[in-house]
Amino acid sequence: MSYEMFDAKKLLGDTVYEVAKERNDIVLLSTDSAPRSGFTTFIEKMPEAYYELGIMEQAAIGVGAGMAVAGKVPVWCGPAPFCTARPFEFFKVDLGYMHQNMKVIGRNCGFNYADLGPTHYGLEDYGLVRMIPDVVILAPQDASELKGAIKAMLDYVGPVYLRLSTAKLPKIFEEKPFEIGKGNLIEDGEDVTILTTGEITVNTLAAVELLKAKGVSVRVVGLPTISPIDTDIIVESAKKTGRLVTVEEHFTVGGLGTIVEEITAENCPVKVKKIGVPFTYISAGPYDDMIQYCGLDPESICNSVMEFLK
Amino acid sequence: MNVNEVKKLALDIRIEALNMMSKHGFGHVGGSLSIADAIAVLYGEQMKYDPQNPKWEARDYLVLSKGHCGPALYSALAIKGFFPREELLTINEIGTRLPSHADKNLTPGIDMTTGSLGQGVSCALGMALALKIQGKDNMVYSIIGDGEAQEGQVWETLLIAPNKGVKNFIVMLDNNKQQLDDFVEKISPLGDVRKKAEDFGWHAVTVDGHDVEAINAAIEECKASDKPGFINLETVKGKGWPAKEGVNGNHALRGPAFEGVEEVLENMRKELAAMN
Repeated sequence: MSYEMFDAKKLLGDTVYEVAKERNDIVLLSTDSAPRSGFTTFIEKMPEAYYELGIMEQAAIGVGAGMAVAGKVPVWCGPAPFCTARPFEFFKVDLGYMHQNMKVIGRNCGFNYADLGPTHYGLEDYGLVRMIPDVVILAPQDASELKGAIKAMLDYVGPVYLRLSTAKLPKIFEEKPFEIGKGNLIEDGEDVTILTTGEITVNTLAAVELLKAKGVSVRVVGLPTISPIDTDIIVESAKKTGRLVTVEEHFTVGGLGTIVEEITAENCPVKVKKIGVPFTYISAGPYDDMIQYCGLDPESICNSVMEFLK
Repeated sequence: MNVNEVKKLALDIRIEALNMMSKHGFGHVGGSLSIADAIAVLYGEQMKYDPQNPKWEARDYLVLSKGHCGPALYSALAIKGFFPREELLTINEIGTRLPSHADKNLTPGIDMTTGSLGQGVSCALGMALALKIQGKDNMVYSIIGDGEAQEGQVWETLLIAPNKGVKNFIVMLDNNKQQLDDFVEKISPLGDVRKKAEDFGWHAVTVDGHDVEAINAAIEECKASDKPGFINLETVKGKGWPAKEGVNGNHALRGPAFEGVEEVLENMRKELAAMN
């Protein structure tokens, strides 16, 4: 299926700017990272609300938390590992524990930084942030959800982590208000439920078409909020189809697969097949090759599901 | 400045802090005593605050980046009426509003949770920056330790602050020469830290950190500058308890290590009475 494609970072920067220009509290922080995060329009039109801090990701979260105490809503975007793993403790203390109203956007998640290698991959970002109570984690699946998620993130009062992966983002869904914590039933079916999150959803949906061609009735649930997760739709799916498959461009350890297993183990034990990044180090290489290596291309997803249903 | 009143406040802070930590049987005595004079100048002379309205918009802010010295700050807050003095004795009890490290979520008058070294001072910079861009003149103070200055995050903040024009920001270094394991000089010497800060673009001064008039003058000098201020407080860890001053093992005391504290407190109380 062909979709209209958007520049994900430009969509991010422009959407934040559209909201910020109507308010007087949003400020943009940069750690040598904002211009390349799609914020050139914001920087040009609202220079008074733009703060280049230099390469200092630990203190950047502190600066943001301090600005939040004094009434500002800081938005900070950079490569995912440098916004999550590196300043993790300050994410916990400054944003989680103190519930400061700062918005952190981890970009180039998954294997998006293909040729930069394991230092730059974002394969554990939401797994880490999920360990901090009361931080909202968003992983929009397409251009429409990204726009909605940004608006919801800026309206919400409290810390939010938003995950962004690909350079080109398809528009799969119609635009509608984004409801934090709500999963979406994309398609109903009987044999198996595939639960998918983030931008790999485009591959999931292509795999669903392949499965349908093989006569499999697939229920598809999109989970663009990782935390708080929509427990109800997961349990409902487990009860309805018995078997669940999760798809994510993230380690399955600590990722959506783990979350779904936690929920089903407590509420409705069923078999769960986790499709995602294996728990190991994968060196630099072309993006498509790595996606295929992890079994995240449509054909591999389809084959894994067929194997699971045997 | 009413020098006698500020000196009395400093002594009162030492008494309350030592009393609460010894009654509880644990506490960061060394650092709480070394910052008592600086805290007294801040709460006795320099800072604007309203104990009845801790979130008063026009207040000045103190971020105690060396959050483990909460007892000194709690004592000042109690003496100034943010909460009853008796509450100081609840430190680290279940349900207390006074954990050993400063906590924004729990304690009236605390604006930033601290305890992880290096973290608070960066938060203080954010506060100063946000206040500045809103055209407000509230001051933001942050107290860091010399051991704490081994954290890279401290230097991230020291490097960027002067470039952001935050003249409403003063960092005070409690240079008490000691950290948990040993003397700072033996582990990772700070060198001429005033000069380092000056080279980074701060208005940097060194003063006797137990001379309240000198501390006050240094703050005034920094406020008059168009740069953020850096005050290197030359202090003695454990100041006020002669047997603990500048000796290894005075960072945090537990149980039997408090032996002799009653005599110290009695002497301090007599000294305070004589100042009235």
